[in-house]
Amino acid sequence: MSRRVLVLAERSESGITDASYELLEAASRLAGGQDGVSAVLPVADASEAEGLREVLPAGELLLVEGPAHASPTADGTAAAVLHAREASGAECILLPHDPVGWDVAPLVAARLGTAAATAVSALSWREDGIAAKRSAFLGKFVQEVEAPGLPAVATVERGAFPAREPGPALSVRILPSPVGPGDLRSRLVEVRDAGAGGVDLTAADVVVAAGRGLGGPENLDIVHELAAALGGVVGASRAVTDAGWLPHELQIGSSGATVSPKLYVACAISGAIQHLVGMRGSRFVVAINKDPDAPIFGAADVGIVGDALEVIPAVTEAVRNSG
Amino acid sequence: MNAVALVKQVPDRNSAFRPAGDWIDESSLGYGINDYDRYAVEAALALKEAGHAAETVAVTAGPADAGQVLRSCLAMGADRGVHLITDRAHLADPFFVARALADAVSGLDAGVVFAGLLAEDSGHGQVGGLVAGLLGYSFASAATGLHFRNGRLEVHRELEGGRIAVVELRLPAVVAVQTGINTPRYASLRGIMASRRKPVERMELAAPADGAGLRRLTLSRPERGASAEILQGSPQEAAAALVPRMRAGAGVSFPGDAS
Ligand SMILES: Cc1cc2nc3c(=O)[nH]c(=O)nc-3n(C[C@H](O)[C@H](O)[C@H](O)COP(=O)(O)OP(=O)(O)OC[C@H]3O[C@@H](n4cnc5c(N)ncnc54)[C@H](O)[C@@H]3O)c2cc1C
Repeated sequence: MSRRVLVLAERSESGITDASYELLEAASRLAGGQDGVSAVLPVADASEAEGLREVLPAGELLLVEGPAHASPTADGTAAAVLHAREASGAECILLPHDPVGWDVAPLVAARLGTAAATAVSALSWREDGIAAKRSAFLGKFVQEVEAPGLPAVATVERGAFPAREPGPALSVRILPSPVGPGDLRSRLVEVRDAGAGGVDLTAADVVVAAGRGLGGPENLDIVHELAAALGGVVGASRAVTDAGWLPHELQIGSSGATVSPKLYVACAISGAIQHLVGMRGSRFVVAINKDPDAPIFGAADVGIVGDALEVIPAVTEAVRNSG
Repeated sequence: MNAVALVKQVPDRNSAFRPAGDWIDESSLGYGINDYDRYAVEAALALKEAGHAAETVAVTAGPADAGQVLRSCLAMGADRGVHLITDRAHLADPFFVARALADAVSGLDAGVVFAGLLAEDSGHGQVGGLVAGLLGYSFASAATGLHFRNGRLEVHRELEGGRIAVVELRLPAVVAVQTGINTPRYASLRGIMASRRKPVERMELAAPADGAGLRRLTLSRPERGASAEILQGSPQEAAAALVPRMRAGAGVSFPGDAS
């Protein structure tokens, strides 16, 4: 059965984002080919999209055009997606599982009287609806859910599908936007760089990262000692920096630093996907965690299951004695 | 105008979770407030303290014992609670939950509704946005900063790559907060005593109609491609086995090494 699938395409400086190419691949698989894929791009003026048609491999490219889309907003983008959904007759809407999707997907789903399947890594049609594989419990489990009823909405995890090769859209349609600037309840004021911190985690050969399982800032000495013995620096999970045990500059992950040291030692870190994306490029990963099922062991070369408060000093000692 | 916090009771994150049927084995789990929601409650309290809200109201949908998380919100300083009582199994569908919360919120004269960005258990990350969509409120997710300017709410949203989007929202608005947006206060003993006298309104929800929202099918542990080699023995034995592997695998020398 072939059914039409709509994706939200997002512009980048050089064309459209990598996430958009992954969505286009996911959509093409679900629709049974590129023909069944519609891509929506909200624009202030259709001329902005001139070069994009050649690199946007969809069956049809829908440009929702109007001054409300001069800069992206949650409600403006949601209105454009819903409008393109109607125009295309798509039965499934795919959005990125990222800050854009988190803003837009629930607004779209609410209008369609349903919930979105989020953090999705695989998709299939059901008789009347979709089934999706998604991550639950911060990556501890894979869950399958069914979203009964069409059209369905899903947000797709980054990296779950390969990026589709750029190629031309088969056709282009311009749709006047259903919303004007005055209809919008939100306005983008600006986008800023948060500004990098003083510590350069990215240059270190060895990173010893502290997690919430250490229990409190009073237990961080052993982490600093291990880092010193290994000639490395201390990093942290977000749970640790949010709690104020260590400064924010030391945070590793999707919303922190991306590191690729030769040696990464994760101490009492569970291994949530947002953490893993920040350290995946490490050459050799050691995980210390008391939970044998912690996802971090799936991303590690070597693991020790045990109480970090006992294991870390033992490792420090063993390193010192090995020289 | 009031500040509302939407909160969820979730299993204690340090529990040993086991998949069972289409979800986890829920016997013998401890429960508490979703970590993200503590930041939502703090944001609501701060809004009132800054003079932008008359009252702070905490709202939850959950089984009878989820009243526990409302009590902890009241102990932190919220003025009152609303408990929408429903089976734990019904929390499987974020649309059902959001519909119920939206109905409750619509009667609360809400200026700003705070939700956690996601729940640590199901992780759907959309209940706040669904409530906004159902009520026609403004919405911003992944909030890491908040300012009030001329009756409008300015929200800092965390984007990828360390960028921040500054958005301005008309009120009423729903804001889904990221951890770290503030420092949630702990309940004081006085707060805990005072919370006992604060009102909690309880309402039984009708069971969800079939066919909307999401349905659970299965839950399983992820397949791990190449999993770690687990070193056995006492901490000392495991540590001794680890050191040569680290050296060889990482190809680094350590400060204590004889050069
Ligand atoms: C949009 C978004 C962006 C995010 N960005 C990031 C990011 O950049 N970086 C990041 O790290 N996270 C990020 N997160 C948060 C992420 O989802 C996790 O919540 C976080 O990584 C958890 O940190 P943790 O592993 O230290 O804590 P937890 O998940 O609480 O894990 C603690 C671990 O310690 C173990 N443990 C407990 N006690 C002991 C002991 N005595 N000995 C040994 N082990 C023990 C436990 O078994 C558990 O595995 C983000 C989340 C979102 C939604």
